[in-house]
Amino acid sequence: MEKELTMPKLRPEMENGVLCAWLKEEGDTVTAGEPLFEIETDKVVNQIEATESGVLKKQLFEEGDTVNVETPVAILETK
Amino acid sequence: MLTVQNFSHDPFYNQAFEEYVFQTFREDDVFLLWQNSPAVIVGSFQNICREVHVETLRRLGIPVVRRMSGGGTVYHDLGNVNYTYISRQDGMVDYDRCLQPVINALNDIGVPARKNRTCDIAIGEEKISGSAQRSAGGRVLHHGTLLFQSDLTVLDHITTHHKNDCFQSKGTASAICTVTNIVDHLAVPMTLEEFKQRLLDRMVPPGCPRLTLTAEQDAEVCRLRDEKYHSWEWTWGRTPAFTYEKSGTFAGAPIRVAYQARKGIVSNAEIECAALDGGEAARLLNGARLDPEGFDEICRTLVGKRAEELMDWLL
Repeated sequence: MEKELTMPKLRPEMENGVLCAWLKEEGDTVTAGEPLFEIETDKVVNQIEATESGVLKKQLFEEGDTVNVETPVAILETK
Repeated sequence: MLTVQNFSHDPFYNQAFEEYVFQTFREDDVFLLWQNSPAVIVGSFQNICREVHVETLRRLGIPVVRRMSGGGTVYHDLGNVNYTYISRQDGMVDYDRCLQPVINALNDIGVPARKNRTCDIAIGEEKISGSAQRSAGGRVLHHGTLLFQSDLTVLDHITTHHKNDCFQSKGTASAICTVTNIVDHLAVPMTLEEFKQRLLDRMVPPGCPRLTLTAEQDAEVCRLRDEKYHSWEWTWGRTPAFTYEKSGTFAGAPIRVAYQARKGIVSNAEIECAALDGGEAARLLNGARLDPEGFDEICRTLVGKRAEELMDWLL
């Protein structure tokens, strides 16, 4: 089953965040709770963790891209 | 609340110390006070070359250290006191929850501080403290500077006068603010050591644990310092992708330099100048690491004694 991970809204005022770093490559296996990517907004670097175990199927943005909140960033293939 | 004492002034060690404490002391809130000898500390996702004049810092012997939190570039010296406040985080980012206890403590010890903008502390309209955060694994690390008696001339020179717009880059740009030293706003004078002691006593009242690292823990911090914070991969390899272009005059001849870098590796280098071998320059630069020491060597190979002058066209 495919599961989307989106850019989270971390402050009420937050409109977008920068995808700073991918911590997993496409095809990598991830376990629930493992950090998947890092975002920065308002001087906070936030590690976003996988909510379920699976394989990182698709990175939808490149490092450095600004992404609006609630927009899908990664697709995880889960069992 | 507990504290872990850190008397080191080594900016690389201190970043590692903070990260180690963040990862290891997970059961309680933690408050740290620490100081760096002169150093430039850049945000996790900044282009160093765009924020500061790297060659000036290299000549002054001021190291550049990348930290793990977001935000902009700051200059630290021994007149500045850094604090770190680590606590649980339930979801949303909240600066006030971290800032307010520090502001209250400052007020209690006679510093007329107030919150300003999202995450600054000011006296009047002038900034005395900037802060940034990192969150991971349900915990947040909030840290900030406290300008007590810093050399504001050097700070201004380094962080505001050398913005380099030859770099077209993604990544976080720094804000420029008017700053002031706490020592100039005290009704009752105190020394920097008294300031640190009083602030610590407010944040971590007597009776709370005041720890020091064991020898084994210290060895782990040193390993992190060497493997991460001293590494090219962390400091330069994390530079956001950019394109660079600059033109002018070198050794009496027109010069145009252009290149790109991705993950800190140079590509598409073009140097046009009658005073040097452009083909050789491009060959040396393509595939090279973005690194002042490496660039200096390339300049020496290309133009010998005029290396310093050429450096100003490459970075």
